[in-house]
Amino acid sequence: MGGLLSYFRSLIGSREMRILILGLDGAGKTTILYRLQVGEVVTTIPTIGFNVEQVTYKNLKFQVWDLGGQTSIRPYWRCYYSNTDAIIYVVDSVDKDRIGISKQELVSMLEEEELKGAILAVLANKQDMEGAMSVAEVHQALGLDLLRNRTFQIFKTSAIKGEGLDQAMDWLSNALQSRK
Amino acid sequence: MTDSKYFTTTKKGEIFELKSELNSEKKEKKREAVKKVIASMTVGKDVSALFPDVVNCMQTDNLELKKLVYLYLMNYAKSQPDMAIMAVNTFVKDCEDPNPLIRALAVRTMGCIRVDKITEYLCEPLRKCLKDEDPYVRKTAAVCVAKLHDINASLVEDQGFLDQLKELLSDSNPMVVANAVAALSEINEASSSGVPLVEMNTQTINKLLTALNECTEWGQVFILDSISNYSPKDEREAQSICERITPRLAHANAAVVLSAVKVLMKLMEMMAPDADFVVNLSKKLAPPLVTLLSSEPEVQYVALRNINLIVQKRPDILKNEMKVFFVKYNDPIYVKLEKLDIMIRLANQSNIAQVLSELKEYATEVDVDFVRKAVRAIGRCAIKVEPSAERCVSTLLDLIQTKVNYVVQEAIVVIKDIFRKYPNRYESIISTLCENLDTLDEPEARGSMIWIIGEYAERIDNADELLESFLEGFQDESTQVQLQLLTAIVKLFLKRPADTQELVQQVLTLATQDSDNPDLRDRGFIYWRLLSTDPAAAREVVLADKPLISEETDLLEPSLLDELVCHIASLASVYHKPPSAFVEGRGLGSSRRALPTRSGSQDILESSPSHGERSGVIPTQESLIGDLLTMDLGGPPVASSVPAAPFASSGLDLLSGGLDGLLSDSPSVPPQQAAATAAPSVGLLGDIFGLAPSASASYIAPKQMWLPAARGKGLEITGTFSRRNGQIQMEMTMTNRAMQPMIQFAVQLNKNSFGLVPAAPLHVVSPLAPNQSYEAVLLLNPTGPVQRMEPLTNLQVAIKNNIDVFYFAVVMPMNVFFAEDGQMDKRVFLSTWKDIPAANEVQYTINNVNLSADAVSSKMQQNNLNASVERRKEKNKNLSPKMVCVNLPGADPMRLRTLRIYRRYAGVDGSILRSKIRCHCNLSPWKNRT
Repeated sequence: MGGLLSYFRSLIGSREMRILILGLDGAGKTTILYRLQVGEVVTTIPTIGFNVEQVTYKNLKFQVWDLGGQTSIRPYWRCYYSNTDAIIYVVDSVDKDRIGISKQELVSMLEEEELKGAILAVLANKQDMEGAMSVAEVHQALGLDLLRNRTFQIFKTSAIKGEGLDQAMDWLSNALQSRK
Repeated sequence: MTDSKYFTTTKKGEIFELKSELNSEKKEKKREAVKKVIASMTVGKDVSALFPDVVNCMQTDNLELKKLVYLYLMNYAKSQPDMAIMAVNTFVKDCEDPNPLIRALAVRTMGCIRVDKITEYLCEPLRKCLKDEDPYVRKTAAVCVAKLHDINASLVEDQGFLDQLKELLSDSNPMVVANAVAALSEINEASSSGVPLVEMNTQTINKLLTALNECTEWGQVFILDSISNYSPKDEREAQSICERITPRLAHANAAVVLSAVKVLMKLMEMMAPDADFVVNLSKKLAPPLVTLLSSEPEVQYVALRNINLIVQKRPDILKNEMKVFFVKYNDPIYVKLEKLDIMIRLANQSNIAQVLSELKEYATEVDVDFVRKAVRAIGRCAIKVEPSAERCVSTLLDLIQTKVNYVVQEAIVVIKDIFRKYPNRYESIISTLCENLDTLDEPEARGSMIWIIGEYAERIDNADELLESFLEGFQDESTQVQLQLLTAIVKLFLKRPADTQELVQQVLTLATQDSDNPDLRDRGFIYWRLLSTDPAAAREVVLADKPLISEETDLLEPSLLDELVCHIASLASVYHKPPSAFVEGRGLGSSRRALPTRSGSQDILESSPSHGERSGVIPTQESLIGDLLTMDLGGPPVASSVPAAPFASSGLDLLSGGLDGLLSDSPSVPPQQAAATAAPSVGLLGDIFGLAPSASASYIAPKQMWLPAARGKGLEITGTFSRRNGQIQMEMTMTNRAMQPMIQFAVQLNKNSFGLVPAAPLHVVSPLAPNQSYEAVLLLNPTGPVQRMEPLTNLQVAIKNNIDVFYFAVVMPMNVFFAEDGQMDKRVFLSTWKDIPAANEVQYTINNVNLSADAVSSKMQQNNLNASVERRKEKNKNLSPKMVCVNLPGADPMRLRTLRIYRRYAGVDGSILRSKIRCHCNLSPWKNRT
């Protein structure tokens, strides 16, 4: 029976998972996207608009949307919420000044009805840099303690060095598969 | 049960369906959905609500899908300016796409998105594309700069895009050069300062000329257009440019040919007109223009409109090509009409025979418009080529014989012009024209015919009858005809005054009183005034020699022509209007293009003869006004018999002056003083006291000179007015100072304030022998039509005899109007006095009255100035207030036509008499109070 299920799943599995990468501007979203896709660090310019790429990770296909984090673009995030399976929320761990704004954006986003079932992975990025907040500090600052009814995990990452992204993707794909 | 179910629908609608399809994961479905969206967009459905969803389909490696999304973006970015920002990143990425087609597509779309908010994000990608390795991308980017300049000019200048564009002018690829040139000239034209932002120089022009031979036809048009905006520094450079451009004349594309023609036309201006180079070039220009006429009709039409300009500017180029402009039977009408126009312009003595026979042929075709134009063309040929005038006229006469209504009408219109060009040469045909009077039903033809009749009235025996027949339907005629009719009848009258006076009266009345057209009315008044004051002057004005017309009348104004030559091969040359006349939003900044001038002869050209002549022929407005003023001031004969002062004075002034004189005691004036009425001391009331011959008769002023013999061609008239037995009389002494006897006297009065008309015809002994005098008395009745005169008592008189008609104006004494029944009760008088505003009051003092109050009263009573004397015991017994009421004859009881003068407080104090007068003038139909 299980074999049959897994057979179907492999059929269904060809369905692309829809993942949004969100976060304030300069958090490293675009770098993460291309690190995931091509495994390299590309030079990026601020994303005015969006990038969308196919990412295959462990035989799972993801359609990853990287949306610009500028204040002017944030209002349009909502246009991308529907049918989203998972959210990767990227935080600049060095930018302590704006961690509060980052929290607000996260909170208001999670309140959206369309994202009710979406899995959340928070990436405390730029851990390679000096003065970066620890995972616990980011966890604290984003107020994740209060988060209820949400499958989520926080990871410490460095997109430049490629650290922590695999763990995050592993967790994400497992969580998405087990959700089925 | 509620009705709410009607408002909730289970159908989500088309937009919703499309939305879900757009978000589908299957690429096939997505593409289909975008196609559906574009389809809806093209048929005009509003699918802007799908903007975010369509934009999300933008990042795809499928070129087809990308193109569709870009198409959508161009259409709706403007309606979703905020959301458009989401597309920016995709543009940026696509501009770096390895596929040059995608790069070019992205940069082209970027230029089409006219949203301020995102333009700044597009600068970087654009900069990259301008330096792209692929020429296709570079040439697309070049045009994008012009588009961006239109949205945000300062951004383009700040970002240095203009310099990059200039660099593209030396690009290795000719298409890039062509597009860069096009973009630069567009930017220059739109420049707000009017100063071109990018100047061409010899090097760039050379590069352009090199690129010219290699690029596509439309690129060639761009390059030629911008070369046409360049002014070479000397004649040699101009010649070398001409030489390099001349091969373009052989191009298959009509636009290239016309653009090359434009450049050559412009550069030829810089060279001496008789130089060999110009002559040779002119020869080379003809064949390509002729070739254009063998293409399809639409292109032919454009070519013809341009040729029309070229022919006007340089008639030599096509002077030998008349035959190609002959109309073919199957040409569309618009081509036919244009060809006809050019045929006339090319007509000259050597080819006129050919042209005329063609035109005659055309005049028998079926298309009415074309036939009309052909007939008109014959007339224009007659005016243009003088030796052929005779043949043209006979051709026109032949056409009139066809009796085809519109041919006849058109022929008459042009014959009028022929008469204006060659007066007194073809009058023999007038009789033929007159035969066709009945067929004329168009205003222009009727107007022309009437003009001919008026102009040659002395040669048409029944001119008066003809004009009279037109006059019957005067009201129904169009203004054009009415004006002509008025002028023609006045001309006729001046030429044959004897039997047409009634006619002229009739037309003047119609024009001035029964027409609400101000032009007509004013012209009527001018003629009337002219005729009534000085017929001799009228003759000089109306029958003056007219300037001959020339064939140049239908040419374009030279400066406009020059400007249009600079716009050959553009819409302006088809409309024959400068671009500023029909392109909105331009014009302010774009400098008017002008033909270059010949460097060596700049001074001569600046004061070019045509310019100088024009300013000489058409005087400036100031000098015109000045002329009018001097004419007015320096024309004493015009108003010789009409005293100048009363014209300016109001009725009130007149009355005060008149009554002042009436009461004054001065023994009047020398009777023979000319223009007595104008002199204040010769008032009317004064004369009553001064002369008052008998107790019973009212005062009669001495006779004055009304018409001196010099003006009356020997007839001298002195006269005065009197009131006897309640009737006004005009007493005249008519003396014949000429050498021949005079007969057939008649008199007519112009409409006047009191409606005076002769009660009986004028009786004068007939014949009035030389040096014989006759006392004529004319009884006047106030029963005629009323028209306010200035001054009120002005009367215009026309006396006719076998010699001529003479006009003069006299001012009647006030007292003859005073009716006998003017007495009024004291109380009525007092209340009436109060009713009249004090503003109407005049006071004056008369000196040297040596009469008692009673004597004054009785004198006034004799003149129907009814005074009720009220004596009061006062210090001075001679001082007594009086009331005087004067009633004027009210001839028509329905229209109270009265002038009431109320006088009060008249006291005789020694030799001084003081008076206050208020007057109330009710002269219907004006019903005003003065």
